[in-house]
Amino acid sequence: MAAAPPSLPLQHLDTLWFQVSGTLCNLRCSHCFISCAPDNHTLELMEAPRIFRYLDDARRMGVKEVYFTGGEPFIHRSFLAILECALRDFPVSVLTNGVLIDEAKADRLRRIADGSRFSLEIRISIDDYEEARNDAIRGKGTFRKALDAYKLLYDRGFLPILTVTEMRDYLTPQGGERDLHGRYVKLLRSVGVDRPRIKVIPIFEMGMLPAPAGQRSVTPEMLRELDPDALQCSSSRIVAHDGVYACPILVGEPEARLADDLEGGLRDCSLYHSSCHTCYVTGMTCKNF
Amino acid sequence: MAEKRPDAGRRYRRVALFGGVYNNYLALGELVRECRASQVDAIFCLGDMGGFGPHPDRSFPLLRSGEIRSIAGNYDLSLAQGNEDCGCGYTDPADNHFARISYDYTFRNTSRENKEWLGTLPSRLSFGLGPLKVRLCHGSPRQVNEFLWDSTSPDHLLSGFLDSAGADVLCCTHTGLKWHRELPGQKHFFNVGVIGRPENDGRTNVWYTVLEYDGRGFRYEFRPLRYDHRRLAREMRAEGLPEEFVETARTGWWTTCLEIMPSRERRSGKF
Repeated sequence: MAAAPPSLPLQHLDTLWFQVSGTLCNLRCSHCFISCAPDNHTLELMEAPRIFRYLDDARRMGVKEVYFTGGEPFIHRSFLAILECALRDFPVSVLTNGVLIDEAKADRLRRIADGSRFSLEIRISIDDYEEARNDAIRGKGTFRKALDAYKLLYDRGFLPILTVTEMRDYLTPQGGERDLHGRYVKLLRSVGVDRPRIKVIPIFEMGMLPAPAGQRSVTPEMLRELDPDALQCSSSRIVAHDGVYACPILVGEPEARLADDLEGGLRDCSLYHSSCHTCYVTGMTCKNF
Repeated sequence: MAEKRPDAGRRYRRVALFGGVYNNYLALGELVRECRASQVDAIFCLGDMGGFGPHPDRSFPLLRSGEIRSIAGNYDLSLAQGNEDCGCGYTDPADNHFARISYDYTFRNTSRENKEWLGTLPSRLSFGLGPLKVRLCHGSPRQVNEFLWDSTSPDHLLSGFLDSAGADVLCCTHTGLKWHRELPGQKHFFNVGVIGRPENDGRTNVWYTVLEYDGRGFRYEFRPLRYDHRRLAREMRAEGLPEEFVETARTGWWTTCLEIMPSRERRSGKF
């Protein structure tokens, strides 16, 4: 019989994520680890008053930073108001595909950022440095729109972080790219970005992708050798419309759901999923850096 | 590591604080000269003696003279423990690439005796400034390599640190950028800056902090410190340190360790 998966205690709740748009997204990417799509209502949009209450709790509990993700945060009608509220007390990061960021929205984001003493970081996702390969994964036109959004924000004084996955290696393991980071630097420089910021994240084989072949799990022995700070679930939690989950990768997974409220969500989480093994092996954090 | 008790009961009127010597023994010499001239009661170094600059062992005669009270930074702990890296907490490959070069250089060129001395430093210090209790740490009270930047440190987090420490004034360093925030209850948080590397503002000077309590109450001042940065740059080049580091000493713009910075702080730099 397989041993029970190990648990990890929360050291301190530093990072609070909001699954602000649930699993609803304007795109339907072929690799999405939580299968977000325009018609996926597994996790619903979060209501603004509920988010404000969580933010109050977070301030009381000494949370250091707040992240908004989805789905696509900008499909939420109240998102900019939510963002403005969060930035009164916290540094904030937003994970977006950039498709809905036009000039007016970029101007508004600039004004919101200027109204806060804290940093507003915007992360824009693409999955390949070649347009055709990206669009095959994320949908037609998404490459151009993401780069346009990056440039609109960059031209307004933001330093957005281009978030890229290792999909190229996943899809063509024999033709892997040695200098993925360098390729994206080149891409951003080609559109006039002098100070590119890039975050490369591994592939999580769940959601739209098939589960990995063979058993991959974190064992108690692995944890004994590990600095607990190396795993993001030692310092972060995510809230969705239906409660608190261990991490942004496992949001919506019944076994990763910890509680209805933030206090309850401080309990140990189980490293039961193959994706926990991915984090263990790669040192992955969903945070910016 | 235990707090050094002898300091816990000491009361001062005017103190100078700095972090991040980063092997910049020329700036350290200037700092001590300035402090002697301005009659500070005590000088405190908040750690990270190595990295960036040339000739690590040249900082230690002053650091070990008894004139400066020091706590350990992550760099100091790594050197003392013989760790493989500086433990700065970078996560980006470009940041880590340059951190590795300066750590390997510093490790090779720091004597065993000096490494052992680094291992004796406390992780924190407390002292009195007039009626105020001042607490010193390197990164944050809870983590030696925590980055506390102005734009990413909420008031409630800093107030929590001050409450836990039972302090009126909390001082840290680690990021390389100085800043101050007054918090509810007349509490104060400082990042005291570093004397090893200029502040990414196109100026070649470095910074330290002076805290004072006199009849008029609590005051603070961030003081610019000039030193022979051209000589430092020459020596860095002669030691074969990366041209990127030399450029920072020469121009005052950071060229490395950029990825860990929040966008607001990075925007004010050149790269």
